[in-house]
This record gives sequence, C-alpha cells and structure tokens, in this order.
Amino acid sequence: MTKRTFMVLAASTALIAAAPAFAQDGEEIVLGGSLPLTGVFGFAGVAIEAGIQDYLKILNEDGGINGRKVRLAYEDTGYQVDQSVAVFNKLTSQNQNLHLYYGDSTAFSRTINPELERRGDILMAGASFATEINDPENFAPQFIAGPDYTEMYSILLEYIAKEKPGAKLVFVNSDSEFGRDPIESSTALAKELGLEVVEQIITPPGAVDVSTEVLKLRRSRPDYAIFHGYILAPLPEFMTQAKQLGLETKFMGTFWSMDSSIWDSVGEVADGFMGVMPYRYYYDEEEAPMLKRIREMRPTYQATGYMQGFLTAMLMGEAVKRTLDAGQELTAKNMKAALNTIEDFDTGGIIGVPISIPGNTVPVGRIYQYDASAKQMQPVSDWISLKE
Amino acid sequence: MRIATANETYLADAALIQTRTQWAWMGVLTVALVAAPFVLNSYWLYLACLVAINVASATGLNILTGYTGLVSLGQGAFMAVGAYTVAWLDRNLGAPFLVNLFAGGLMAAAVGVFVGLPSLRVKGLYLAIATIGASLILHFVFLNWSSVTGGSRGMNVAPATFLGTPLTTYFQLYWVLVPVAALMVLGAANLFRTRIGRAFIAIRDRDISAEVLGIPLLRYKLLSFAISSFYAGVAGGLWAYFFRSVGPESFTLVESIFYLAAVIVGGMGSILGGIIGAAFMTLVPEILRFGVEAIAPYVNNAGTLLSPVRTVVFGALIILFLVFEPQGLAEIVQRIRRFFHLWPFRR
Repeated sequence: MTKRTFMVLAASTALIAAAPAFAQDGEEIVLGGSLPLTGVFGFAGVAIEAGIQDYLKILNEDGGINGRKVRLAYEDTGYQVDQSVAVFNKLTSQNQNLHLYYGDSTAFSRTINPELERRGDILMAGASFATEINDPENFAPQFIAGPDYTEMYSILLEYIAKEKPGAKLVFVNSDSEFGRDPIESSTALAKELGLEVVEQIITPPGAVDVSTEVLKLRRSRPDYAIFHGYILAPLPEFMTQAKQLGLETKFMGTFWSMDSSIWDSVGEVADGFMGVMPYRYYYDEEEAPMLKRIREMRPTYQATGYMQGFLTAMLMGEAVKRTLDAGQELTAKNMKAALNTIEDFDTGGIIGVPISIPGNTVPVGRIYQYDASAKQMQPVSDWISLKE
Repeated sequence: MRIATANETYLADAALIQTRTQWAWMGVLTVALVAAPFVLNSYWLYLACLVAINVASATGLNILTGYTGLVSLGQGAFMAVGAYTVAWLDRNLGAPFLVNLFAGGLMAAAVGVFVGLPSLRVKGLYLAIATIGASLILHFVFLNWSSVTGGSRGMNVAPATFLGTPLTTYFQLYWVLVPVAALMVLGAANLFRTRIGRAFIAIRDRDISAEVLGIPLLRYKLLSFAISSFYAGVAGGLWAYFFRSVGPESFTLVESIFYLAAVIVGGMGSILGGIIGAAFMTLVPEILRFGVEAIAPYVNNAGTLLSPVRTVVFGALIILFLVFEPQGLAEIVQRIRRFFHLWPFRR
C-alpha cells in the first residue's frame, strides 16, 4: 500500500465515521403529542397546541437548540386513552429523533410510562397534574409543568389558613380519577394546618342537578368549598343555589376550572370565584417580557391551557439544551437530570417568580379571584412556593 | 351448498377444515402471522397485538350472543375482572403469566355465571340491561375496593416474563398474544362441533324446543356465560400485560358496546365473523387516521375532525350493517368464496 492510498483510505474512513455526527447536528428534534383537540378537554387541547407551537416558533426563530430545530408532531385523541396510545405508537414509528412527548391524561401518563421506561429516549409531560406522577422514582421519564393536584390544594389551604385560621371547609370532587386524586392527602394536610373539613361531597363529573349536595352545603355552612375534577359544571349551579340560600361560602377551584373565558358566560354569579393558578394570565399587567411577546403574536385572549403548553415546551427545550450543552445523548435519564438542574429559572414572567424543579413538579402557584365586571381573574395573593 | 365437497364419513363431514383450498388458506394465514413481526413496524405491531386481544374477547362474546342468543353488554366488565385478577396475582403472588391468565379467565367465568343467573328469567333487551347493571356494580367495586384494586388510581402490572425474559416490546408480546388468541379461536370453533356447542345453538334457535329436547336451559345458559366470560377474562389479562396498567376507567360501557358492534359487523354466530369483525372495528379508526392525514393539506385543522368522524363512522357502520348486511362481513366473505368456487359459471 502506498502512502497516498493509505492517506486516502484514512481520510475516507474518518469521514464515514464522522458522518453520523455531522448529520445529527442538523437534525430536527421532534416533540410528539397526544392532544385532546376534541371531547371534554377539547378547549384545553386547542389552547395547549397553540402554546406549544408558539414557543417552538420563538425557539426556532432564535436558532433552535444548538442549531437544531424543534418540531411538534401531534394528533387528536378525543381524550381517549386507547387513542392516545395509538397516536404515541404511530408518532414514535414515523418520526426519528422524537425525544419529547406531550400526553393528554393521567390514564395515558400511567399507561405509557412502562413504554417510556423501556425506550429510555423520551422525556414526557402533559395535561395531567396527577399526584401520582409526582414520583421521580416510578415516573422517572415524566414531569409536570406546574404543581400537582395535591400541591394545588396545599397552596389553597395555606392561603385559607392565613386568611381565616380554623376555617370550615367542604371538599367537592368529581367521581373520576381526576376528581378523587387529592382527597386523601389534602384532608390530612387541612388537619395539619388547623382547618376543619366538615363535609366531603362527590358528584358525577358533569352533574347538573346538585340540589341534594347543596343541601349538604347548607347544613355544614362552610367558609370555603373547594371544587376539583371539574371544568365548569356543576360549579355555577352550586354557586347560584348557595347564593339563593344566603350562604357566604367562598368557592374555590384548581387549575382546569380557572380559565377566565369559561366563566365569562356564567355572569354575575361567577363574581368572587377563587382558585389556584400556576401561571400568569394572558392579560396580567405585571412586568413579563414573554407575556408581552405572546400578546404581540396573538392579539386576543389565550386560555390557561396555552400558558401550560407554552411553559411545558419551554422547560422541555431547556432540558434538551442543557443535555446537549453537557455533550450528552438525548436520553430520558440525561434530559430529566438536566431538567432537575433548573434552579431559579426565569420563565420570562409566565410564572411570576424564578422557578426550580427539584423533582417532578414546579411547586408554585398563586391565588386569583374572578372579577365578573372586568371578566378577568385578578391576583389576591403573592406567589406561594411550597418548597421554601 | 358447496360443490365438490362430498364427504363419505361423518368424521369428514364434521371436520373443521374440509377442503384443500381451506388448508392452503390456513397455511397462507399461518405464514403471514409468523412473518408479520419481522415486516411490520412497531405501530402496526401494536395494532396487530390489539387486534389479537379484541379477537379473543369478541370470539367470547360471539359464543354467548351469536351462538347462544343471549345479549350481553358486560363483556368490558368481564375483561376488567380478568385484568384486575392478573394484576393482583402478579403483584401479590408473582405467579407465571400463563397461570395468571388462566386464573383471570376463571375468575371472570365465576363472575359471569353470577351475572348470567337472570338469563333464565329474562332475555333480549331485559338481559342486556341486567348485564349493564352488573357492569355498573363491578365498576363500583373496582373504584371502591381500594385495598385490592388500587381504587381510582388502579394498578400497574409488571411485564410478563417468558423463560426469564421480560416481554416488553410489541415484537415480544406479539408472540404471546397472537398464539393465545389463535388457540382461543380454535377452541371456540371446536366447541360447536361438540354436544355443548350444539346445545347452545339449539337454545339460540328456540329455547323452549331445546328444553323439550332435553337440554337443561339454566345449566347451558350459565355454561355459555361462563365460557364467554372466561374468554373475556383471558382477553382482559392479555390487555393488562399489554398496557401494563389497569384502572376503573380502562373498561367502560363503550368497550362492551365495541365488542357487541364487532360481533354484529363481523357476523353473529360465525367464528370467522368474530375475527374479522374485531379486526375491522379495531383498524377502521386507524384507516380514518390516515385519511385525515391525506386531507390535512387541503382542510384547515383536519386533525380535529378525526375524533367526531370516528364516532360517526362507528355508529354508521353498526346501522348500515344491521340494515344492509345483517349477517355481517362473514357473509360477504362467504359470498366471495361461493363466487370463486363456481367461477366461471354463474348461479
């Protein structure tokens, strides 16, 4: 072999060996999504998709992550678990470099978890804030872009304990997995905080006739009634009947019942409805450069689901960026470890305080109250961080 | 009547496969089933596994509804019993998955016998409502017997293991799900060559006449419920190992309607009907998915059409088959077979 032949062979071997590395530099990263664009959660799914797309647009316009663009590949699931799983399998079969995923329900998060663990190359978050996902050991490839439902209750209860020590509470939960999620843990926490849970009401998710339950409310005359596991119905009915009975109970809710647009049509009865919100509202006036940018991109009101989708994509992008910056492969383990390095992170005002992700959640929230005349949710507390 | 199938013995007349053409097709099917995992990607393998589970359950329902004439809307709940049994046994005893599957089937059969008790007194719509009632009670049990079922959060299932290898990929699961489903279909086909199967058919055709002929109605109706529920229980167990998570919302009334629809669309009282009905109903939504993908460039937000269109198509298929092809897809297949058997002659 001559020297020239050897050099040619060596150079071509090096080129072939390096080719995958060059190719990978330019390859896009895919964020898959089983999104509920229709069905009971349709309103949320449409907003979530818009939020994710807008953040990815901003990210890609700014050059992507280390030069790699991020694309959302998604399909509608109608909030059906079997469809969510089918969409997951389809998208993971059709897309290379799918390293991020957005799921639509607790049932899907639980069902797909073994598959995520087996694959080991996908970091997932989604529309579920279920307490069980807040388990870094058993749900290692997943996280929640906000507080879990128990943490939401904790934020509400901390607020109540400060505002009215020893207050009487009634928990109203829908008869679904979603609704039952925080009952046990929150009842114990209320006791710890010196609050008294005087009644526990469980209704069907979309219950219309709630007269029997309202009578229970009348008998126990609570200071606060906390609703969970509903989007809107039967809250307006509860509130109307309670007002007619002269009850002075304050009504509260958790994230999915806190979108101000769903309360617009309820009218005067909705005035004073309170609840926990992990993100700022579209119209919040406090300094928030990212909200400003969102308002420039979309001049009309964007629902709370939008903020959730936006922040989820932002945190996923940050996890990928930190993983690539560390020169590591995009595995679920590496991305999750990178996510957990997020400390005092500035979301551009999507959340009003710098956030950290020590485990599977962002345990921060704020209490907002609905102002029917302004048709807006107004903050009534400061940001409450549970890990302080 | 088919031509060129003259049988000279009773044994030949009762054979499961009677012609060389049938043997050839069975060979083609076997080769296709064995080759499939090596050809299909993980999405299609997922669907193939799902079809296998649905075929097992639909075949079970076909035994009860198609062959014995007892309408049931409890198949989903019986599957849930099997799935929960498998999950519980797996977690607490760690028994081999085949033992768990069998136990899941037996537990579902026991529950099925109990649910089937009203079948001597009521039938048709009344029995359907009774089975819905039983499903609701079972759902309540799944939700509230937290120490056993895990309550609203349900239970996770460890992967099935075969010779120490955990079956986690769809490729691995295929080799369990498809053979089990095939064995169950074979068992059902053979059932109707026995005295028990004949008794079921007699009950379906005219229960009073069957009783006059000496068939004890209660015993055979309960037996039919037991066998059908056993199938559902095993299918539910397979489902548990497939999805590895069982919750109270995993098996709703819609699941039961799905299996009844699969039997109707496929062809009631036909083993082939149960198979192609389950496969068809599982794959139609996926085919629609590709349809939506194709029109996506021309229609705004085409993705949001999928779910409502799927629901409409699901309902329309049931109505159209009931009106225009009550014998289901199996009858269409028979017609095609007859055509080729007679070709080039016309009837």
